[in-house]
Amino acid sequence: MNRKYARFFAIVLALTLFTALISACSKENKPAAESKAAESSGSETTPAESSSASDPAKPDISKKVELVWYLLGDSHADSPKVVEEWNKMLEKDLNTTVKLNFTTWTEWATKYNLLLTTGEKVDMIFASSWADYFKYAKQGAFLDLTDLLPTYAPQTWSTVPEQDWSEAKVDGKIFAVPATYPEFTPNGIVYREDWRKELNLPEVKDLDSIEAYMDGVKKSKSGVTPIGGSAWNEVSTLFKAITGFEAIGGDGNSVVVAKSYDNPRDIVAYPFTTEFADYAKRMKTWASKGFWSSSTLSVETAAGDLIKAGTGAVYWRNPAGAGGFITDLKKTNPEIEVAYFPFTRIQNYAVPNLSINNGMAIPKSSTNPERSLMVLDKLRNDPKYFNLMTYGFEGTHYSLNADGKTYVAPPKGVEVAQDWKKYDIAGWGWRYEPNMLKEEGSWDGFDKLTEEFKAISRPSIFQPVVLDYEPVKAEQAAVNQVFKQYGQPLMMGLVPDVDKALETYRKKLEGAGIDKVVAYVKEQAEAYYTERNIQ
Amino acid sequence: MSRLLVDLRTNKVLWLMIVPSLVFFVIFSYLPMIGVYYAFTNYSFEGGLFKSPYVGFQNFQFLIQSGQLYALTKNTILYNLAFIFLGNALQVTCAIFLSELPGKLFRKFTQSFMFLPFFLSFVLIGAFVFNLFNFENGAVNTFLKGIGLQPYDFYLHTAPWKYIIVFFSVWKGLGYGMIIYLAAIMSISDEYHEAAKIDGANIFQRTRHIILPLLVPTFVLLILLSLGGILKGQFDLFYQIIGNNGMLFETTDIIDTYVYRSLTVNFDIGMGTAAGLYQSAFGLVLVCAVNYIIKKTREDYALF
Amino acid sequence: MKIRMEKATILFNVIGYLVISLLAVLCLLPFLLIITGSVSSEMEIIRDGFKLIPDQFSIDAYRAIFSDPKQIFQAYQVTILLTIAGSLLGLFFTSMAGYVLSRKEFHFRNPVAFIIYFTTLFSGGLIPWYITIVKYLGWKDSYLALLVPPMLSAWNIILMKNFMKSIPDSISESAKIDGAGEFTIYRRLILPLSIPGLATIGLFLALAYWNEWFLPNIFITTESKYPLQFLLYRILASAAVLNTNIAGNLSPDFKPPTETLKMAVAIVVTGPIVFLYPFVQRFFIKGLTIGAVKG
Repeated sequence: MNRKYARFFAIVLALTLFTALISACSKENKPAAESKAAESSGSETTPAESSSASDPAKPDISKKVELVWYLLGDSHADSPKVVEEWNKMLEKDLNTTVKLNFTTWTEWATKYNLLLTTGEKVDMIFASSWADYFKYAKQGAFLDLTDLLPTYAPQTWSTVPEQDWSEAKVDGKIFAVPATYPEFTPNGIVYREDWRKELNLPEVKDLDSIEAYMDGVKKSKSGVTPIGGSAWNEVSTLFKAITGFEAIGGDGNSVVVAKSYDNPRDIVAYPFTTEFADYAKRMKTWASKGFWSSSTLSVETAAGDLIKAGTGAVYWRNPAGAGGFITDLKKTNPEIEVAYFPFTRIQNYAVPNLSINNGMAIPKSSTNPERSLMVLDKLRNDPKYFNLMTYGFEGTHYSLNADGKTYVAPPKGVEVAQDWKKYDIAGWGWRYEPNMLKEEGSWDGFDKLTEEFKAISRPSIFQPVVLDYEPVKAEQAAVNQVFKQYGQPLMMGLVPDVDKALETYRKKLEGAGIDKVVAYVKEQAEAYYTERNIQ
Repeated sequence: MSRLLVDLRTNKVLWLMIVPSLVFFVIFSYLPMIGVYYAFTNYSFEGGLFKSPYVGFQNFQFLIQSGQLYALTKNTILYNLAFIFLGNALQVTCAIFLSELPGKLFRKFTQSFMFLPFFLSFVLIGAFVFNLFNFENGAVNTFLKGIGLQPYDFYLHTAPWKYIIVFFSVWKGLGYGMIIYLAAIMSISDEYHEAAKIDGANIFQRTRHIILPLLVPTFVLLILLSLGGILKGQFDLFYQIIGNNGMLFETTDIIDTYVYRSLTVNFDIGMGTAAGLYQSAFGLVLVCAVNYIIKKTREDYALF
Repeated sequence: MKIRMEKATILFNVIGYLVISLLAVLCLLPFLLIITGSVSSEMEIIRDGFKLIPDQFSIDAYRAIFSDPKQIFQAYQVTILLTIAGSLLGLFFTSMAGYVLSRKEFHFRNPVAFIIYFTTLFSGGLIPWYITIVKYLGWKDSYLALLVPPMLSAWNIILMKNFMKSIPDSISESAKIDGAGEFTIYRRLILPLSIPGLATIGLFLALAYWNEWFLPNIFITTESKYPLQFLLYRILASAAVLNTNIAGNLSPDFKPPTETLKMAVAIVVTGPIVFLYPFVQRFFIKGLTIGAVKG
């Protein structure tokens, strides 16, 4: 009886295990086959190329291909329908379908890293300087597109300006197709203009007038903290603006800077400069005057929300962000009047974003880079594709105005629920300015600002310096740590004694190996300047 | 080996019953464990795990570079000891009360309430802490001002934060940990209680001489289990309460938060793995040592 | 009928009621704050912090969550099914393993316990684990990736072993003399006697499944397969990202209420699972052993 039971059980167990293994194996088969395909196609990119080289006008699309694309960001509730429609078009035109995945914003950096590190099949992924494009490209996560582009994305190849391509280059190779959308995103502040007028405070134009403005607001408006919420961005970007220090590489928080745009080779760690000492002292007075709260480094609330709540006055934004905030404010708090002050007015020059601030790259693991490029070429350049994927269905998500250049969302004549969301997916990577539509009723200050920036524009020379800190990564990690622990409180004026804290900060930085980090940055920057003939 | 074969035959059924678990751990824990090798390589996408260059202990260097490893290790251990001992003591106390107090409804409700903090994410707890302690309109300072005392600026002082963190950790884990003890008390045979009652023992004596001794194995077990992770902190707890506020790091920085901060700007698989390896190795040595001592004194309390 | 209570018992009860009541209030209060917070207006929370009684009532946060009700209910469904299936399977395998490790006859119980415990100490990190699941098991975008990994944990198995160890050996020994096989002893005798332990581990498993958001985050790419926690985390994360430097790239004209959203998410997530605990409480019954031996 019992023995029977045991045997029965043994059989059940064996079966469970067996099925588990089988399912594992059968599941394994597919990706294994795929990855095999990946290997072979990876090594056979040359044959594929040569076959197309024999007939360069028409790449071979006889084989039906399914691609996997990843975008960094969120999808829209209607994305599946839009993608379905897109796939119908793609299947007809290119014999291809795309499975479009989104990383979402939850732990996106981890996920992005996983996708690229583990060699999972991904045929195209959003790439950007703010998502470590240069580091990944340098370490070999992306496929070199230089030779593929003219054949498989001919239109894109000819329409993207030479400068844009060069900004996307790492060691002379192109690893991503940059978006074509010239943009300026300098730092600046949104502030309550109505209060400035009411209190008769000076026009905001430099450090002193900013101080006077905040002082006036703090004194006359009880319960208001001028920079409510976290004030770090406001204070640290203002520092760079008034000193003219320029961060090198993409990391705006780096302590290693070039002393000015005109002297790009003069590279120092700013905590050792007198400018920083002076600024820290000044910030100490600001903090004691109560321009921000003592808990400012812990606050999660955005300063902008406090403006809406009526207890804040200043909010760090770039022009696009300011535009969004101002448009939103008009809806939620029409009684509040704000103005925007870009720090470029202190510096008297503006630097456009790198082209590769947004772009699309192909990971090494891709099985069909050629087809993926063809899809991208179509998506960027064919307005039918571009509008569908960027703005959704015409009539459902937006309607085109007669001029063909502006659109309305929600579409004219369509009643929408209160929670209706504009169609918007993370499509910045394929932006192509001539195809882009303008939304009716967006902030009018934006275009004026762009004109202003264009007039004082100087090329970006610091951001494209590729820093992966490989030889000094231990030092860099330690410096980063010291910066957070000692540098941030010091700059925010939270320490009891500035001189002492400054001394500690400098000593800790030296202990962490700041000299090595500076030397490394110098070396990389010099190499870049020499390559590009920058003095 | 031959002993194993013999045992495989004699305890065939027992082996079969544990095989699924072993298979599980082989697939999900032991196979991926190959990844500790990352700690000794300079990772590159070209080379992957095995073909990236071997760099020895270079990835561990960032831990000592800032000279803070000792302080961090000490902080982490002290925090964890406080969590473990205070947490377990409170859980045992509550479990005993809840098993002995009359009033079924009272027990039922309070027990459920104590479980509620477990459901609150650390993000929310972080928001609570901020709302309690900030200088401008925090509840604590509003209260202090209300009774005519000087408000206290918590965010400019490091001292109170260790207590705040320990409090919230113990508070959050109370209901969860208590259940284990409650279940252990439930499995104490009633015979012991009856016998003790007949002997005229009062409730304190019964607690002292019957319940507590019978909870010791569970207590020892939970301590042993926790010791392995003594260098691993509750990252979310610290990160959500302290965040990037450098003002407070002096007393509230643990290895996990330190590593996270060091690597946020420039993530490096090798360095991340190296830090984890240091934490694990430390835990392993500690657990084995303590387990060895326990085994010498009371064999059945040992973990393995 | 009525027995005069001993002094000691009265003292014990007084202390007990005081301590437990105090702690219960400490635990309940924040939860009440969250409930009221979730229906406050965003601006009020930002201006004044948390309040027990809001001045202004607003359900904006819930509207942001339920903007696509179909999706939320789908997510509930996924979560509930995963929780039930996972907890039951997990409980089955955990209790078997715990049983084996608690048996004195099993000579290799210490080495095996060590092998299991060791997994809590060392891990190869996220990447190799991810590769195992995605490349070798092929579970990308599969429910299996959500169901299997949380099923067993060393911690649960060892706790289970501990619960089962407290069952007197005499019970299984006498059954063995009667000719019962190991699996029968496990199923017929040990399982019913371990009900409090099973309830505990079952609760832990259910909570782990319910709260899991990281697995779907990295493995699931189809939106309709998202479990509840992840769906809500995603909403929170996109709301939070609008406050960062990346915001310049985003469509700026939709900003959900972040502060109240956090709280509403906590309520929506906690909702059903809160009732699991009172249900599990029913299994905390004293004196199982006696009944079993006598019966």
